[in-house]
Amino acid sequence: MIDFSRVQKELQECSKDIEASGIKVTPVSDNLVHLTGIIPGPVGTPYEGGTFRLDITLPDGYPFEPPKMHFVTKVWHPNISSQSGAICLDILKDQWSPALTLKTALLSVQALLSAPAPDDPQDAVVAQQYLKDHQTFLSTARYWTESFAKTSSLGVEEKVQKLVEMGFPESQVRSTLEIVGGDENMALEKLLSS
Amino acid sequence: MSKRVLCKFFAHGACLKGEHCEFSHDWKDPPNNICTYYQKGFCSYGSRCRYEHVKPSRSESAASSSSSVSHPSRATSSGITKVPGVMPELSALSRPFLPPNKTAWNPESVCNDSLENDEVDEPRNLKPADRSICSFAAAGNCPRGEKCPHIHGDTCPTCGKQCLHPFRPEEREEHMKSCEKKQKHLEALRRSQEIECSVCLDRVLSKPTAAERKFGLLSECDHPFCISCIRNWRSSSPTSGMDVNTALRACPICRKLSYFVIPSVIWYYTPEEKQEIIDSYKSKLKSIDCKHFNFGNGNCPFGTSCFYKHMVKPGSYMWKYHRPPPRRPPPFRPPPSRSNVVDMDSFIDAFGDLLGEDEPDFFDAENEVRMALDVEMALLLTQLDFDSSDSSDYESYLD
Repeated sequence: MIDFSRVQKELQECSKDIEASGIKVTPVSDNLVHLTGIIPGPVGTPYEGGTFRLDITLPDGYPFEPPKMHFVTKVWHPNISSQSGAICLDILKDQWSPALTLKTALLSVQALLSAPAPDDPQDAVVAQQYLKDHQTFLSTARYWTESFAKTSSLGVEEKVQKLVEMGFPESQVRSTLEIVGGDENMALEKLLSS
Repeated sequence: MSKRVLCKFFAHGACLKGEHCEFSHDWKDPPNNICTYYQKGFCSYGSRCRYEHVKPSRSESAASSSSSVSHPSRATSSGITKVPGVMPELSALSRPFLPPNKTAWNPESVCNDSLENDEVDEPRNLKPADRSICSFAAAGNCPRGEKCPHIHGDTCPTCGKQCLHPFRPEEREEHMKSCEKKQKHLEALRRSQEIECSVCLDRVLSKPTAAERKFGLLSECDHPFCISCIRNWRSSSPTSGMDVNTALRACPICRKLSYFVIPSVIWYYTPEEKQEIIDSYKSKLKSIDCKHFNFGNGNCPFGTSCFYKHMVKPGSYMWKYHRPPPRRPPPFRPPPSRSNVVDMDSFIDAFGDLLGEDEPDFFDAENEVRMALDVEMALLLTQLDFDSSDSSDYESYLD
């Protein structure tokens, strides 16, 4: 059984120093099982300036089992799948400890962005590129950050207009944008798949 | 005198008076198991009474009439004539009516004894050391004040109550000691209020149920957890890829491996305090018979390192053959491994085999590993046995 009082405390704790860490955790639904995490791209990396969204699901055994996390925002990184967003990080697997929190786990993910481990890759293609052609890796990562992680620079109205121009009905665009939390790329994907 | 007699409510674990009780809350003191009704001349339970039927000696009745037995004695003060009046109480216990047991000891003296009781509580010719102190004053307030026929004790510097007997040095000493100990415990309890469990993020001593309001101390580091969280973590199923020996045995914060968890209602601030908690916990466990060992009829996987008591009963397997019985069902025998990286489960099996079949060579060669493993297994055992034995025992220790 999930210890919800602990999750509640974690959320409060996290919202307290949102300014300092930039890490945000918000519940998707009311039951606190499904959450969304947001981490800023670390400064001095190709991810700088981006805002990365993660989907967090708490297993029944939380906090004695690690939370399930994956990137929703597309990332070009050796330890993060460019397709599924799956993260290869030991503390989210066998090195989890109940003393870790959602915030510290997200901080670790943020640290992973600035310190890739290409020898233990999640995405072999990215890892190969990281090792063999580092310049291309950097520019690809930067390009992905620009195109997928910086959508929030646009205002809501601009996003709506952009999507409406693509031929989607406005009401559907607005509701879809709301569901995905304002990410226009995700909204587009969702609109296309629906 | 009353302080020396074990409080029977306390003995059953529920004395509402707590530290104000005029009876002793020290397990070392003998319980007052003497049937006061019999001493007054009549006990309707007769031979089935659960209290002892002994005749009072003169001095005993004088001393006891002022303390524990004064109230029951009033109930029967009119002797045999009052007997029917006693019965309604007894009928509540759904016992059949029994005629008064005439063979009980000398009914005549009942009246004399209890009539004295109200007027003169104690014979004045007793030595000061034999007279008991006023229990009201000892509890904090004597309504009779100056006019009280009892001695009022000296004020205890720690608890501030008039409970030090002026003429009994050992009793004074004992009270002062236990009072200081209690005070220290309260102080530690007060400091422990603030401590939060690093897993559930709650204050450990603010948990809803008493069973949860306990710390789980790790043997090898000083990070605070509540007992349920740390046990949960250590016993969580390693299905999610976590390794028992490296991840689950480790402190969630510093990842240092600890071999066992010690429950405690107080947190510690010095290594000495921690050691004291561990020692008293271990000595408590040592007084409980080991289920695995089963008085010499079972095979305890922890051998001599077991935290629990291994008492060999005459006639048991151990008593007859000087070795534990073979384990059943016969364990799977792993190929003898000389490497130091040993799979825990297979090693327990191997160890069990060794105990049963005496293979001194292998035993000695792996001695070092075995020693480390013993502790590891003791940990397992303590975890296995906690639910049944731990909480109640440990609580009684802390009282």
